[in-house]
Amino acid sequence: MEQFKKILRFELKGYLTNKVFVGVTALLVAVIFLVTFFPRLKDILGSGDGDTPEEREVMLVSGGDGAALAAIAETFPDYDVRSSEGDVREAVTAGEAECAVELHGLSDFTYYVDNLSMYDTNAERVSEALTGLYRLNALTGAGIPAQEAQEIMDAQVAFDVQSLGVDQGQNFFYTYVMIFALYMVILLYGQMVASNVAAEKSSRAMELLVTSAKPTAMMFGKVVASCLAGLLQLVCVFGSALLFYDLNRGYMEEGGIISLLFDMPPALLGWMLVYFILGFLIYAFLYGAIGSTASKLEDINTSVMPVTLVFIAGFMVVVFGMSSGQVDNPLMVACSYIPFTSPMAMFTRIAMSHPAGWEIALSVAVLLGSCGGVGILAAKIYRAGVLLYGTSPKIGDILKMLKKA
Amino acid sequence: MRLEFRDIHKSFGEKKVLAGVSFIAESGRAFGLLGRNGAGKTTSIRILMGVFPAESGEVLLDGKPIDRNKAGIGYLPEERGLYPKKKIIDQLTYFAELKGVRSAEAVKACDRWLERLGMAEYRDKRLDTLSKGNQQKIQLVTALAHDPDIIILDEPFSGLDPVNAMLLKDVVKEEIQRGKIVLFSSHQMSYIEEFCDSIAIINKGEVAITGDLHEIKRDYPRDRLAIRSAQVERIAADFPGQTVTAENGELILRLNDPGEKMAVMQKLSAEYDIDEVRVFEPSLNDIFVQYAGD
Repeated sequence: MEQFKKILRFELKGYLTNKVFVGVTALLVAVIFLVTFFPRLKDILGSGDGDTPEEREVMLVSGGDGAALAAIAETFPDYDVRSSEGDVREAVTAGEAECAVELHGLSDFTYYVDNLSMYDTNAERVSEALTGLYRLNALTGAGIPAQEAQEIMDAQVAFDVQSLGVDQGQNFFYTYVMIFALYMVILLYGQMVASNVAAEKSSRAMELLVTSAKPTAMMFGKVVASCLAGLLQLVCVFGSALLFYDLNRGYMEEGGIISLLFDMPPALLGWMLVYFILGFLIYAFLYGAIGSTASKLEDINTSVMPVTLVFIAGFMVVVFGMSSGQVDNPLMVACSYIPFTSPMAMFTRIAMSHPAGWEIALSVAVLLGSCGGVGILAAKIYRAGVLLYGTSPKIGDILKMLKKA
Repeated sequence: MRLEFRDIHKSFGEKKVLAGVSFIAESGRAFGLLGRNGAGKTTSIRILMGVFPAESGEVLLDGKPIDRNKAGIGYLPEERGLYPKKKIIDQLTYFAELKGVRSAEAVKACDRWLERLGMAEYRDKRLDTLSKGNQQKIQLVTALAHDPDIIILDEPFSGLDPVNAMLLKDVVKEEIQRGKIVLFSSHQMSYIEEFCDSIAIINKGEVAITGDLHEIKRDYPRDRLAIRSAQVERIAADFPGQTVTAENGELILRLNDPGEKMAVMQKLSAEYDIDEVRVFEPSLNDIFVQYAGD
């Protein structure tokens, strides 16, 4: 235990005095500062020269009558809608107009745009405007007075949506951010643990370490130190994000993505912490064990590949589950009990669905047990691995070593 | 103190590395552990340090199984290496603390040793800014700072210039005088011969010979004379088939009968211009080649 504490302190100090570690954390905090303070800054800077009108994009409309043009202009107040007699295609290609609508009648048109954006809904909006115009014409044509016809057209059915469980539309963003943070931190730090062990081996510091400390103390000390460093980095990044957001809450757009991101229930942060720590530990142990079997730093990338692939596969399952909205599909349920995928899968289900209490307890228990098991196993591989130089051992050799250890 | 290896066996997979290694090293005397590459020296050292257990046999300290938590062991590995990017004092205290020294004492002890080895000015430097020889001196501190009872030095002199080698010799002699058990492992026979009172030569996992170096030498048949003379060619011609010339230019004369030693010595002094004549004792090198050779 005494050795574990000393190793933990030494390794943690190593992280905290590492310029890259400190630099990256500071950079992330700076980026978050800029993003969260941007609306306020824009407000302060923008208030001075608020008089200059924004230049609007040009939308050309050809064919059709004045009513159609007026309806389109009304639908697109953000565009400078102009009537055109010439070839609108050419005008768009030449860059004279952002987009163009060529009317072939009230029920048929072509929308021209240079590069069609993923989010371009102009064609649908034009269609809506023209459909309205068409129906209005039809109603007035059938003898209904224009004002009455307009009222019929404007009639709206009021509705209200109340989600009794969790609102996936709202929690999708912060769940995604948290899962992604989990993914990044585990991959980055896992690799760091592996290369740290391999570096000690290749610099032969290992010769002295194995004769000075117990392999379990070494393994647990290293992994827990990296876990704390990762946690500290997360706390810095998320903590400063929350703080900056809170300072700028008044400037944020209501319902905007940034507001959605920060609108997470505190209990979820707790679960994130639990799954982060356990998920981190289990992977860091594996990475550490693999690092100990490599003789050269260059071998690390290929050696850790299988573990990284398992992890990425788990991440994919979770992301697909999230984007399909089916976070309780059978694959996700299975993954939420497998220790290597449960940190992400079960966390996503907690965030976006309602898993039963026993399900969460079982998942945490399995993960906790596996962490201990993998940790001890990793220490054994480590002890045998660190004294092997030359070619990296095959998986079969490692299993043989384990049997003996 | 008395460190005893008693019938140690160890295999790695199919390969038998140690097949019954036994020897005794005592405090206040340096012990030389010799053997060719792959003979089993490092495995023996690792078993002593508890890196892995022996399959059978015991390591005893004063007759009782060694308690590695109580008896400190200092180790200078043949494969040198520390953390190249870390501050020297930080890593030295880290290793001392791992060996159970309290933090403040570890810093004091490391500073004392840096001072002793003339390395105090590098205390706060990164290890990779030092020359190879100086890095080696830093590594020596990791073996000594926790004031161990048993000191294992694996090829301690390789890479040191003559001045540093002298410094290391002085340090080692002090430690021997302080009653430490010092275990040397080296291929440089001259150093072993200078320091070690006892040796063990390990060959193919077995102890080929062990004991007091002087006694081992004395046990050789005293049937050869070493002669230094300007007239070695004449002497060789007068004793046909009985002489060989040693590397240092001495003529080695093998006697037909050890009993005629005095008579031959008198004859040589009377008839030739002799600088020196003495009974030939084999060097450690000769002994090593004899026991560790194929």
